[in-house]
Amino acid sequence: MAGPGAIRLGERKKAALEFAITYSLAAALSLICGAIFIVAFGGDVLVAFGTVLRSSLGTWGGFAQTLNKFCPLLLGSLAVAFGMRGGHFNIGVDGQIYAGAIGMTGTAFALQGLNLPWPIFVPLGMLGGILAGLFWGFIPGILRVRFQVSEIFVTVMLNFVALYLVDYLANGPWNDPMAGEAITLPIPDASVLPQVMPKSGAHFGFIIALAAAAGMYFLMTRTIIGYEIRAVGDNPKAARFGGINVNRVTLIIMPTCGALAGLAGAIEVSGFHQSLLLGLTGSEGAPNYGAMAILIAVIGRNNPLGVTVAAAVFAVLLSGSDSLQRSIGLPGAAVFVFQAIIVLTVLFVQARRNTSAG
Amino acid sequence: MYGIRKSFGQVVALDGVDFEAGKGEIHALLGENGAGKTTLMNILSGLYRLDEGQISIDRREVSIHSPRDAIKAGIGMVHQHVELISNFTALENILLGREGSRWKLDLDAHRSSAEKLAASYGLSIPLSEPIKSLPAGIQQKVEILKALYHGADTLILDEPTTMLTPLEVDGLFSTLKSFAKGGLTVIFITHKIKEVLDNCDRITVFRGGLKIDTISREAASREKLVQMMMGERGAPPENKRPTGPSAALEGSPTLSVRGMYTSAEWGVPLKNITFDIPRGLIVGLAGVSGNGQKELAEALAGLIEIEKGDIHLNGTGVSKLSMSARIARGISLLPQDRIEEGILPSLSLSENFVLGLHPHIFKRRGIFEQDTANELGRNAIREFNILAKNEHVPAAHLSGGNIQKMIVARSMMLSHKTGKILMIANNPTRGLDVMAASFVHGRLRELRSHGAGVLLISEDLDELCSMCDQIIVIHSGEIFGSFDGPEYDIYQIGVLMAGQKSETGS
Repeated sequence: MAGPGAIRLGERKKAALEFAITYSLAAALSLICGAIFIVAFGGDVLVAFGTVLRSSLGTWGGFAQTLNKFCPLLLGSLAVAFGMRGGHFNIGVDGQIYAGAIGMTGTAFALQGLNLPWPIFVPLGMLGGILAGLFWGFIPGILRVRFQVSEIFVTVMLNFVALYLVDYLANGPWNDPMAGEAITLPIPDASVLPQVMPKSGAHFGFIIALAAAAGMYFLMTRTIIGYEIRAVGDNPKAARFGGINVNRVTLIIMPTCGALAGLAGAIEVSGFHQSLLLGLTGSEGAPNYGAMAILIAVIGRNNPLGVTVAAAVFAVLLSGSDSLQRSIGLPGAAVFVFQAIIVLTVLFVQARRNTSAG
Repeated sequence: MYGIRKSFGQVVALDGVDFEAGKGEIHALLGENGAGKTTLMNILSGLYRLDEGQISIDRREVSIHSPRDAIKAGIGMVHQHVELISNFTALENILLGREGSRWKLDLDAHRSSAEKLAASYGLSIPLSEPIKSLPAGIQQKVEILKALYHGADTLILDEPTTMLTPLEVDGLFSTLKSFAKGGLTVIFITHKIKEVLDNCDRITVFRGGLKIDTISREAASREKLVQMMMGERGAPPENKRPTGPSAALEGSPTLSVRGMYTSAEWGVPLKNITFDIPRGLIVGLAGVSGNGQKELAEALAGLIEIEKGDIHLNGTGVSKLSMSARIARGISLLPQDRIEEGILPSLSLSENFVLGLHPHIFKRRGIFEQDTANELGRNAIREFNILAKNEHVPAAHLSGGNIQKMIVARSMMLSHKTGKILMIANNPTRGLDVMAASFVHGRLRELRSHGAGVLLISEDLDELCSMCDQIIVIHSGEIFGSFDGPEYDIYQIGVLMAGQKSETGS
């Protein structure tokens, strides 16, 4: 059996090499473009890059912050990538994050009086978030199946619905009268996600997110439903001719996307903000997680492993962005220009290599 | 055309080919699929650029870089599948690309000159009808008139007879003969030897990207042409039609359909479809493309819900079951459009092979066992002689013929695993070379001899006549008649295909 095994290895090696070349070229190109950009703004290239890396990875506090950003980025990107693998465009990650956050907060408030210990209360809260996200993903799914409505429009519209629902809850029924702004009362202590690194402030979220990525990898490659999802995503017509119930697959994909993003929202509330508020889906002046998640999914080619790596890079850039302004006077938004450059160069290099190969 | 060379990537499609056609002749290009005949003509008509070689027309060297150049040089090509805009009228299609002034479209002037041109060649075409309401034979005439209207004096036709009924085929050839008499050059691409022998002046045979020879009609015979096409490999085994039922005909038929209707939302609506497929027989479904064949196949397979009527498989009603459940009960469908309906292009070959089988073959519930799939893939590649590096390459990397083999292999395996009950083969040999087609036919016969019922849908009457124990004819969603083999009168079948109900049929 050495023969086929060797061939298979060769095939894999070639694909891996191809992958490495594409991404090295893209990385080099985006570094050069980024450098030109920094020089044009009168900054020092090495200092700028050094600052971003030092502030996001060089200190425990910064590292913890990076991990905390990594969690919603990864879960959000998985929510996009999972849909893409099945041929569905999930533009509603922000809305699903908010839905999950509402689910978590609502569960926490509802079970407040029961004095549950945290090992029970936290998972129940997470479940509340997952179910709310699931429901938020089910809506575009069922509209797609029943009325052939594009999930793109529905998910975008549901973003607004979720946003204003949070606005209402944070200002209205759940409002914290002492805060004087749009924020709810804090959730009970027993429903707060524990910290992995208590001193620096990293919560358990990144581990949950990594587990979700591993779970998606397993589902896609090792299960029949994962196979059916890939088949539908690759050619829905042929999948139908193979006896796959495409509607059923859609009704699995969209709610699962919603559940992944909903989990991200629940973790943001339970692990980070400890109350429900607007602005959960990203820091001020930065693009929302939902937008970044699409970029990350594109760069990671909708592959759980690729998405994990890309989400990590974006988390580093995101958490390094604040210090950029402080140290060399570049606007923090420079980082987002850099993110855009990365995406464009990856797409550019991919396209070039595809045309020259084909 | 001299020393023409063309390669796609590493595949050399044409290697130093010389080709000449004279004025006033009908010249056939004969060869298997992939022999290079269509590639050569695509170069002449400007769709492909040649890598090496030169083209001369009337002894003057010309360079053809685009379809526009080809039209200027008087070359018009009619492709295998009609490429007209279906909502436009015949006239609008004919003048497309030759509208004249940029701002003003003088339809009346175009109409009268198109009519004059058509009349001079004895073509009658309803110019104001939208294309979609015209039968395939007329659509083809529209394409031909369009080429002539664009000033073509060399007319290239790629496999022009596949979509036509026998009567339409005769009509086409008499038109082509009158073109040739009028001084046009007609080049005619085909793989059907009979058409060549009946209608052409000279014949050029291609094999594997090389020109084998050009011979005159007088020097040609069936045996000689087959030998030239196939080379040392020899002719495919002579397809002897088995006679008599292969398995006991006792008991209920494998498939019985009674009064089946489908709604128009799925395409051509089926009306009152009633027929049986007995055990161990091949039943052919003849008809001009787009008359409900696809819908019938899909309704039987469970892709289309039926409105009324019954489908019984081995005596049990299956019309309420999902496609997946019908697969498990032994209905295997070979789809007609291999790219659109057949393959998962970026998934691996093994993942493609298990499509349809996947709910049934894995031991552990819900788990996709890569090893099982890979073993299946390896076996299929070996058994069906599919040209692929291994079972891990994406399906899109295969050539068209190999993709077709893959799909045939898949439905055969499906049928074997589910007890060889019923195979619905929708144009299973389209685009296959002679050897591969004969292989597919062999496989269908093998299923037949194992007692499976086979529904063979084809637009090629010769194929149906040589394969089927019984032929039923479909026209606009209705069954117009049925014929029992082994000998068939193709003209009578053709009459039904054209939509005239027979009084004698069935």
